[in-house]
Amino acid sequence: MAPMKDPPPIAVRALRKVFRQTTSGQSVVAIDALDLDIAPREVVAIVGQTGCGKSTLFDLMIGLEAPTAGSIVIGGKTPYGDFDDFRGQIATVFQQDRLLPWRSAIDNVKLPLELIGLAESAQRERSLAWLERLGLASFTGAYPHELSGGMRQRVAIARAFAVEPRILLADEAFGHLDEVTAAELRETFLALARECGSTAILITHQLEEAIGVGDRIIVLGRSAKLLADIHVERWPAGEYAMLREAIQATLQANERDARLVR
Amino acid sequence: MPHDEYRAAPLGGTFSRETLVSLLLFAIVWELLSYSAPALGIPAFAIPGLLRIGQSLLTITPLDVGVTLARVVGALILSFVLGVLLATFMYRSDKLERYAFPMIRLLMAVPVVSWILFAVLWFRGAEFRIAFVLVAVCGPVFLVDALDAMRGVPLELRRMIRSFRPTAPQYFIKLIFPAILPNLITSWKINLSLAIRVVTIAELVGAVTGIGHQLAVAQELFSVADVFAWTLVLVALLFLLEAALRRAEKRLLRWRP
Repeated sequence: MAPMKDPPPIAVRALRKVFRQTTSGQSVVAIDALDLDIAPREVVAIVGQTGCGKSTLFDLMIGLEAPTAGSIVIGGKTPYGDFDDFRGQIATVFQQDRLLPWRSAIDNVKLPLELIGLAESAQRERSLAWLERLGLASFTGAYPHELSGGMRQRVAIARAFAVEPRILLADEAFGHLDEVTAAELRETFLALARECGSTAILITHQLEEAIGVGDRIIVLGRSAKLLADIHVERWPAGEYAMLREAIQATLQANERDARLVR
Repeated sequence: MPHDEYRAAPLGGTFSRETLVSLLLFAIVWELLSYSAPALGIPAFAIPGLLRIGQSLLTITPLDVGVTLARVVGALILSFVLGVLLATFMYRSDKLERYAFPMIRLLMAVPVVSWILFAVLWFRGAEFRIAFVLVAVCGPVFLVDALDAMRGVPLELRRMIRSFRPTAPQYFIKLIFPAILPNLITSWKINLSLAIRVVTIAELVGAVTGIGHQLAVAQELFSVADVFAWTLVLVALLFLLEAALRRAEKRLLRWRP
């Protein structure tokens, strides 16, 4: 693996995202006044209930959506405004594998390398290496429909790592898999992220997953309100059950308050 | 319906026993009709026997077949390129789509005969007239199918590839065109039979070569056997082109389960 430049810090300032519903014309505030800093090489789990704005934050971080107000600045640039500058810098793993069905496993891994214009031989070499690392050396020529769900997600992870990104984002990437496969893939993902020295941001609604993977857990309430910012290493190792309960209680209290306001 | 998975396609590429029996039955019924035509009050020359049609088939001029084939394939390629190109521009620009689409719908509603008349009135040169008619009829079909298919590419895949930040040409080459390939092949199938029918009418009116022209000559000579022979050639040509298309489809879409 090539030595990687330090990933840039991520600064989220007064971030706001409002969507207008097509049918009713009503405005929905998905994110409101969010401030957040993520240091280089940090592994952060963002946890919150369904509909709290986690996935919107994910879209804003990868630059697929523009903020309504506020900003996300990564190394002095904004992922939406300076979209092309982040080519090969940010990679994503989605909830579903999102493999291209007409491409074999190796061709799917090659996709981002083709987009950054890597030489054909290097594309092949690097894709093969990543598939091997993810235990798919015998399935390089298989089409997605010939692979199991877990194997397809492995290909998706290989595709994300192939560009050797400085920032990795995973949106509920393991939530749809069975527990054993999910745990195994989560571990692989984290080990690779740490080895590559990438900043990794995992978005999840599962507390166990958040506690298990993050150096830091960011708990979001409705409209991505920052409820808690927990540095896991500062928490006593034997008291993760208490941590889980504390996060759950925070989320429930926030949900109760939100209901009262409504 | 799991049973359907094991059912062979009725228009499969190979000549199955059922296909041969079906064609044989048709030939027998035809021959019987030919024998009994006078008894049914139909002139004998109106339904020529298989032997007479066979004799006419021996007089088929390959040049005319080749010319018609070239016209169909050439015009289809041109229609395909223009249709997909315009669909791509319309996909990229909502404004262009809003202005251009009503025009396309209008063009699609124009009957083939009107296009032929316009071609005769507007242009000189048979080749240009025929190409114009074929492109005017087949081009919009390619365009509408391609645009619909582009709009139908799953949002998940579009967001996935955008997250890797492709350039505009990469976005189309790596995602959109491969994703719409099955729809484009279906468009080719539809347009192929359409083009064969349209080219025949166009050649009937304004050409001095081609199968359509030979059909017109046979009609002028009152040779029903020749009309049948040329029609058979036309049908065989369509079957051959469809078989070639199926072969290409099998190869291009080999990734499908």
